Amino acid sequence: MTTQVGAVRRDYRAPRSLSDPRPLGRGLLRTLTALCFLAPALTILILFVASPMLAALRTSFFSSSGFGPETFVGGANYARIFQDPLLVKAMGNTAIYAALFTPVAVVVALLVALVVADERLPFRGLLRSALFLPFIVSLAVAAFAWGFLLDPQLGLLNYWLRGLGIRLGNVLQDPVLAMPTVVLVAVWKSFGFYMVVFVAGLQDIPRSLYEAARVDGAGALRRFRSVTLPLLNNTLTFVVIFALIAALQAFDQIYVLTQGGPLHATDTVVTEIYQSGFKELDLGIASALSYVLLGATLLLSLIQFALGSRREKDLAS
Amino acid sequence: MKRTVAAALALGVGLAAALTGCAASDAGGSGSGKTTLTFWHGYTADDGKKLNKIIDEFNASQSKVTVKYSVKTWQVIGDSLLPALAAKKAPQIVALPAEQLPVYAGKNAFADLGDYYSSSSAAKSIKPEAVTMEEVGGKKYGVPTGFVPLSVVYNKKMFDAAGITSFPKTWDEWLAAAKKLTVDENGDGTPEQYGLALPDRQTVGNGVWASLFYGNGGAIEKNGKAVLDSAANVETLTYWANAVTKDKISPTGLDGIKSDNLFASGKAAMEVGGPWMVAVAAGNKIDAGMAAIPAGPKAQAASAIGVSMGITSTATAAEKKAAETFFDYFYSKKVAAEWSLGSGWPPLTTNVAESAVSSNPTVATLTALADRARPLLPGVIKSSDVLSAVDDATQRALGGEDPAAALKASQLLVQSALSAK
Amino acid sequence: MTAALARTLRPRHPWARPSSWILFVLALIGVAVVVLPILIIVLTAFKPTAEVNAFPPSLLPKAWTLDNFAVIFQQLPFARLILNSFVFAGGVTLLALLFDSLAAYALARIDFTGSRLLLVLIIASLMIPFQATLVPLYQLVAGFGWVNSFAALIIPRAADAFGIFFLRQFFLALPRDLDNAARIDGASEFRIFRSVILPNALPALLTLGVFTFVNNWNDLLWPLVFTNDQEMATITSGLTLLTGPSGIVPYGPLMAGALIALTPLAILFVIVQRRFVASIATSGLK
Repeated sequence: MTTQVGAVRRDYRAPRSLSDPRPLGRGLLRTLTALCFLAPALTILILFVASPMLAALRTSFFSSSGFGPETFVGGANYARIFQDPLLVKAMGNTAIYAALFTPVAVVVALLVALVVADERLPFRGLLRSALFLPFIVSLAVAAFAWGFLLDPQLGLLNYWLRGLGIRLGNVLQDPVLAMPTVVLVAVWKSFGFYMVVFVAGLQDIPRSLYEAARVDGAGALRRFRSVTLPLLNNTLTFVVIFALIAALQAFDQIYVLTQGGPLHATDTVVTEIYQSGFKELDLGIASALSYVLLGATLLLSLIQFALGSRREKDLAS
Repeated sequence: MKRTVAAALALGVGLAAALTGCAASDAGGSGSGKTTLTFWHGYTADDGKKLNKIIDEFNASQSKVTVKYSVKTWQVIGDSLLPALAAKKAPQIVALPAEQLPVYAGKNAFADLGDYYSSSSAAKSIKPEAVTMEEVGGKKYGVPTGFVPLSVVYNKKMFDAAGITSFPKTWDEWLAAAKKLTVDENGDGTPEQYGLALPDRQTVGNGVWASLFYGNGGAIEKNGKAVLDSAANVETLTYWANAVTKDKISPTGLDGIKSDNLFASGKAAMEVGGPWMVAVAAGNKIDAGMAAIPAGPKAQAASAIGVSMGITSTATAAEKKAAETFFDYFYSKKVAAEWSLGSGWPPLTTNVAESAVSSNPTVATLTALADRARPLLPGVIKSSDVLSAVDDATQRALGGEDPAAALKASQLLVQSALSAK
Repeated sequence: MTAALARTLRPRHPWARPSSWILFVLALIGVAVVVLPILIIVLTAFKPTAEVNAFPPSLLPKAWTLDNFAVIFQQLPFARLILNSFVFAGGVTLLALLFDSLAAYALARIDFTGSRLLLVLIIASLMIPFQATLVPLYQLVAGFGWVNSFAALIIPRAADAFGIFFLRQFFLALPRDLDNAARIDGASEFRIFRSVILPNALPALLTLGVFTFVNNWNDLLWPLVFTNDQEMATITSGLTLLTGPSGIVPYGPLMAGALIALTPLAILFVIVQRRFVASIATSGLK
């Protein structure tokens, strides 16, 4: 389980993976102590997260507007979801969005983090702050800025590129380019946070490990593979899962940039949940759709956890 | 560290206690014979200030009813009304875009106002075409706070430069003017100035295409049946799609907001818009005029932008009565004229003489046009699905697809939205 | 041993090596691309209305103006909005950091029956979109009589699954020897949490703190749905009231408001960034 970096092995124990929490002791006392620590958070989570979730689960088996009378319909809402071509299309779009966003956001954030965590980089604090800026801008405002850049008639980017004889076209209204453009803006918006998480993770890696590896004659790539990656594995697993969850729930960025268009090319599961819940007052369908999304997310996350543990074993060998 | 944690804990507990204390102030209610009502509306600009002033004056004018207003954008009202209804904490009066009324009414969120319409003399003075937007399944679930026909705003300077002296009266004249106003200086096929900003989806009040369909005798639906793929509509869509794709009078891929921006930036000479566009243009240093949408081959008509207010069905009988007292005040002759001038929209009642609003030229123009305005999809519960299907068709056609096929595909969607319960 | 070794291996001055210059230029190009949209926001705040949508577009205002700032100060109770934002985002952040770190400690450091199942359940609760649970959540909050109060804004968010998961991952990475030594000395679990884990997890706590604060500060729908009065609005939700008829947005004033809303967050991050660096310096020596 521990990493193989020579002498340092005795000083430092690699973090455990999710699947392998090491027992410190046994007994009721331990559980009680844990409960004391968990009590405040669990109270909040059970009351304000779990109970509304269960209410939504119940609603998914009803025909319900949320306020009027309800009728039990069994699995009819779930059946309807998979028969509605627009909803099926939204599911496909969500998968495409997640498949584009998750790897791009994680890789970009990791690469940038390696650069700005590098001690040789002058002004790295300032650069980090600048790269973090997109994360602290509210999305509605960011959408304006991107519109100002990308608008096919009035946009700055088009105006500049026109001088070079390049015509960008209406990227946000192009059936093929709309989705990648939305992903691009979403990556721009969120990579700064993932970057900071990676930087924090990188800083937890004792410097002595790198130095020991260097003494052993390991090159930069080898040091990345045998020191950085194994010790960053917990962070990486966390960022991947979190980016995946965020991607599968893509809503705001789409709502402000394309409203699901053109011709539903950027409609996602959550835009459809919003549409059926808040515009059509069909909370039964909205809830059922949410649970389909939850099921898919859970499945993908568990796969990711499994991959994370395997990665750890591979890297440790 | 020890001290930090202790401080955080103390702060947390203190905060929680303080916050719970704050919540007590939400009481309200109807003690001592006085009824307090909450009213959500989405008038955020000067019109909102005027409406709030009218409400304040109403509160001062009598001692039985107090109306408390809460201003949210129309979008936010749409997002907050459902949770509030579900928690039985909805405001007693809610204003919302008229085409959204049926979906709420269909789920019994609003009270039937039939008895109000039959008993109140003020209600009888409301213009009948505005009242049609309140009808769902033969019952009336709201009263109008706004009803205005879409019209064309135009850039006066560009009209002068092109030598167009009078505003076009027919589609052919309109198209000719738009072509004349489209300027491609460097001849690269992309005009620097467009004659018209014609959006292909999410148009202002969702009414641009409805207005054009009406002009050629078509419609989106008739008595619950989809008529989107009628020959008249195919003709209409072909006519305007050609104007955009072949004559390039407008860029493609615009929505309502984008076409407003294009007009306000002086890149487009005309757009179909609401009455506020003249003021918006003025803010952008553009001198804009307003005119009726030119007549189509069959009719001169325009889709109306409508706003309705309803009384939520959770309101008690006393609260409903109190709300109706406010409505009576709102539709009284003096207040109706005041609201028309303040909102920049035509008066809602027949008892306001045209001369009473002539001080505002925009309102005067719109008032003259008001009788040609048609409500958008009155009584259609799934209006959002219908409108999204219409947007699909117009987007396809302006994107170069066959208009007849595009309308045919959307016809099915419209019909299934209309037949769904 | 490490400190001495590190000192000899570390370059004396960051500018000494050519590789630091290459890195710097690379980083600068990246930053320029990333910051361009931000620059648009900042500069638009100083443009007169007629220039915001003007063609040809220009990055810099031709005539600099402060009118946009005047508009928002006239139309909105700005001081109140900022205060509300601080109470809301600050309250959530403090409570969530406290409760999340307690829970994360239990999940990362105490072995108890069902801990793995509990963790999976906590993570699963992140997987339902907010739009799906808003209605039942609102019913609950309204049932407590909290609507339109800070209680509605803060208490439901006083702990969150994301923070627990995040801190757990970081607590796991801390060396066990630290708390084992304390445990042998007879320290209680709470003492280990407070004096061993928390000080060593400062970068993680700061990261989560910034994340929570920023997200709540910028949250739009939450304050809009749970409060009704302008007096309870946050700066982000308050700015929606600038929206004109038919969704027309006066971009100049909106960007001015956004710039004001952005400033405390940027300052916060710069401060946290400093603490970051400081805490690394110490952890390198331990």
